[in-house]
Amino acid sequence: MRMVEQDQENDDSTEVTWEDQQKINLFSKLNTRMKGFEAKMEAAKQEKEALDDLSTELELADDTESVLYRIGETYLHMPLHRALERLEQDQADLDARFSKLLQSSQQCETEMKQLKVTLYAKFGSAINLDE
Amino acid sequence: MSSSSVLSEERGARGIPKAPFIQDVEKHIGGADAEVEGPLKAIQDAISKYRYMDSNLTQRRLGLEEKIPDIKKTLSMVEYIQERREGKSSQSEDDLEDDLEDEDSNSKPLKTTFELNDTLFAEAELEDTDTVYLWLGANVMLSYKLPAAIQLLRSKLEAAEENVASLTEDLEFLREQLTMMEVNMARVYNWDVKRRREHRIAEEQGGKSASEKEGG
Repeated sequence: MRMVEQDQENDDSTEVTWEDQQKINLFSKLNTRMKGFEAKMEAAKQEKEALDDLSTELELADDTESVLYRIGETYLHMPLHRALERLEQDQADLDARFSKLLQSSQQCETEMKQLKVTLYAKFGSAINLDE
Repeated sequence: MSSSSVLSEERGARGIPKAPFIQDVEKHIGGADAEVEGPLKAIQDAISKYRYMDSNLTQRRLGLEEKIPDIKKTLSMVEYIQERREGKSSQSEDDLEDDLEDEDSNSKPLKTTFELNDTLFAEAELEDTDTVYLWLGANVMLSYKLPAAIQLLRSKLEAAEENVASLTEDLEFLREQLTMMEVNMARVYNWDVKRRREHRIAEEQGGKSASEKEGG
């Protein structure tokens, strides 16, 4: 919490109404959701990088050797073409997951921006909506 | 003034009490001259109760979120085994479309490299089988035929994901109530600060006019 200078203090007109409270609540909810999305997107991005590295490796792999492809916690020996198929499938699944997360997080952000405008307009420096 | 709980009797979903919204700070405290200590303490108590519930639910959700990837991994492994078996049986029916490479790999037993311990792996060969053993927890392991195993794992996964969703809903509701209580506390405190200042100014005014009367 911070102390506000007396001359910056609000006068009585900026009371918090029930609608304001609901807007504040909504902002807080969206903020928490955004944090969740950001964490999941970070994890998905790292997985994607790993899969991309994997596809580069497989391009150079020897066709005769079997590839140890990880499924779950163990590695299965499978021929190169089979591994490439699975890799494609896994990459497609991951991309779909990532774009869904991106969409939801962008939606959250837009709503949050609108709420910020409204709340800052009413409360000015009496409210803090940024990190 | 009794510091009764400031939380209303109303309960939100699954027993989380709803926080009251203070329309008028002065009325809530009980007049312009009442003490704010009581209400402030009650609000503070409510806030700490909410925070406790919050950390509780977050822990539960974290546990579930850790379980879900495990279930997914098991499921994908069992599905792979199933795929292989289906691939094999369909190939024996349709010899014309045999892909020589596929036939080779499907007739050989399934080779895996699995973790014995951290950084220690061992190779194993899996026979063709239609049964898997699933660990159900509590030192119980049951054998299932492949389709039944897949079904069980899928339903476990669904149940876990549903639980996570409902816990998240509860958490969001809880955060709302927490935010409202924090806003309430800020407003009560600000009101008190303002009131003290007004009293001080009034006293100073009163003091000045009194000394003016005497001096004059």
